[in-house]
Amino acid sequence: MTSIVSVTSVSKKYQLPLTKKEVSESFFNKIFNRIKFEEYWAVKDVSFTLNKGDKLGIIGNNGAGKSTLLKILSKITKPTTGKVDIQGKVASLLEVGTGFHPELSGRDNIYLNGAILGMSKKQITQQFDEIVEFAGDQIIKFLDTPVKRYSSGMYVRLGFAISAHLDPDILIVDEVLAVGDADFQKKSLGKMKEVASKDKTILFVSHNLTAVANLCNKTLHLEKGYVKQFGETGEVLNNYLSAMQNNLLEQSFDHINLAPGNDLVKLKYAKLTPTLFGNQLIADVRSSLKIDIEFWNLLDNQNLNISLHIFASTGECIFNVGTLPKILDKGVVQASLTIPGYFLNDGNYLVSFMVVKDKSIVLFNFEEVFNFEIADYREETTWYGKWPGYVRPQFDFPIQQVSQIL
Amino acid sequence: MAFLNIFNFRFLNSLELFLILSKRDISVRFKQTALGMIWAIIRPITTMLVFLFAYKNLTNISNISGYPIQIVIYSGILFWNLFANSFQSVSNSILLSSNLISKVYFPRMIILFSSIAVSLIDFLFGLFVYFILAFYFNINISYNLFLLPVVVVIILFISIGLGAIFASFSVKKRDLLQLIPIIVQYGFFVTPIVYTSLEFYLKPWFKIYTFINPLVGLVEFFRFTLIRGYHVLSFNEILISIFSSISIFILGLLVFHFKKDTFVDYL
Repeated sequence: MTSIVSVTSVSKKYQLPLTKKEVSESFFNKIFNRIKFEEYWAVKDVSFTLNKGDKLGIIGNNGAGKSTLLKILSKITKPTTGKVDIQGKVASLLEVGTGFHPELSGRDNIYLNGAILGMSKKQITQQFDEIVEFAGDQIIKFLDTPVKRYSSGMYVRLGFAISAHLDPDILIVDEVLAVGDADFQKKSLGKMKEVASKDKTILFVSHNLTAVANLCNKTLHLEKGYVKQFGETGEVLNNYLSAMQNNLLEQSFDHINLAPGNDLVKLKYAKLTPTLFGNQLIADVRSSLKIDIEFWNLLDNQNLNISLHIFASTGECIFNVGTLPKILDKGVVQASLTIPGYFLNDGNYLVSFMVVKDKSIVLFNFEEVFNFEIADYREETTWYGKWPGYVRPQFDFPIQQVSQIL
Repeated sequence: MAFLNIFNFRFLNSLELFLILSKRDISVRFKQTALGMIWAIIRPITTMLVFLFAYKNLTNISNISGYPIQIVIYSGILFWNLFANSFQSVSNSILLSSNLISKVYFPRMIILFSSIAVSLIDFLFGLFVYFILAFYFNINISYNLFLLPVVVVIILFISIGLGAIFASFSVKKRDLLQLIPIIVQYGFFVTPIVYTSLEFYLKPWFKIYTFINPLVGLVEFFRFTLIRGYHVLSFNEILISIFSSISIFILGLLVFHFKKDTFVDYL
């Protein structure tokens, strides 16, 4: 099979102005406001090839070069070095509703946006009704209203509806799925899948690994502009996830002298064990988390309890839970706690605990004993936005019809 | 052919995009104004009235070089507005379309050409008023009027050419944009807009002057097509202006062509 997209050692260099401190404050520089530049490679030596029908997911952290790469592939900007060879009609959707003019009606904007995206007038006219229908009932009423009067939801729906009818050979998409309400997202993802099934080639940038896993057969993992890995989606995603797992889940000290603490209490052992489903690598919102703590108590006959705090990565305390106080003697003290699944939302968390004497005197505060991440997990939903909140409970929340008359 | 089929953007698509962008600018132009298109003629008329006021009170003349003062001034303003408005909008076009340029690929040159649409429409409205004025002052229209489209195209050539150079060099550094108002303001006075070149035709530096400022030949050619019996410059002098206008056009497009790929990186 011949390749439809071939990218050969593409690099893109930008020049970043140095911050004021780094520029010497010479008279000349001051007068002419000369700014010195630092070179910065947004994309470096990226190569890959795609065959017809391949769906490529492009993943990586912020600043990994994903957007720059898409701009190069869409011909918006030229690579500094390297070569891009694409066979066929390309449509790139880096945003929805590009070029919409607020003063023009929805109708005029369909033609305008279509033309900007490379559709002919004939093509647009042929698909006009379909586009409007896809955008939703609400749009039909407002077809001759300037789009500046549209709600942001309507604006986005109309924009996506036009894009969805482009019918290119190669589609380049930048996270446009993360727009609109849940209902419309479902529709958009459906359309993407439909396009995907039609032997089209898709290049899809996303932060959302679930969406990439669902849609793409190949994945390109970028890191600081370089290709970290390119290959089958499952393999690349697994490596990506395990690379992300730099979590602190266990601490163990054999010698009391090396253990953290003071001359009253010393940490011996602490472990966080999530329950994992299938071949999962890190905990997700379903996982329950078991925390085991052991510490050396260096005093006899003390009334002690443990008070444990869980903090969000932003520093807010999510909750504080304590054991009952107990009279304990010199030796090793053990405590365990289980946080059930569907309790913490996805995100990064820190755990610290303190040993408290007589319910009031803190003997020692063990800070950042664990540092862990909880991944997102969703079923039967096509909405991929960030789930809000720190907790993710599943409460019984029945809904029913009580009458049929208004 | 790869050249005509750049990224599947065929010539027809380009033409359609050009037309729809032009249509966009025109239909947005007078949105939410009560007077609408009438604004297109208010501007040249007020400029003319201001100069009439000045001339009448300062010198009490009623004709310039033998032609009614109103006709000379109004035709000059018509010419100048077409040039200055097109030149300004072409110069600003790339920066104004930055949201498009940084998000979608299409032949960038379309933006230059589509941004003159509004000036052209304004010109047509102003031209209509000219015919009313000409009728009032008994100025006959000759067959030379058939040459008017040619002059208009050449005016647009020089506007687009100059504008393309300004647009290309104002993406990275905006200094050139500061020059535009100066050119538009003072160019008005150093070009025979509210007077004719007959006034200094015999000066020794006149030849060099027409060579440096191609607008001199163009405005007199423009008047030649509108005013019967108006013969101020020889055809050779006009031809020089036409030649330099076309050269500026080609130069502008070349500069633009070689700079266009770097626009996105600096927008």
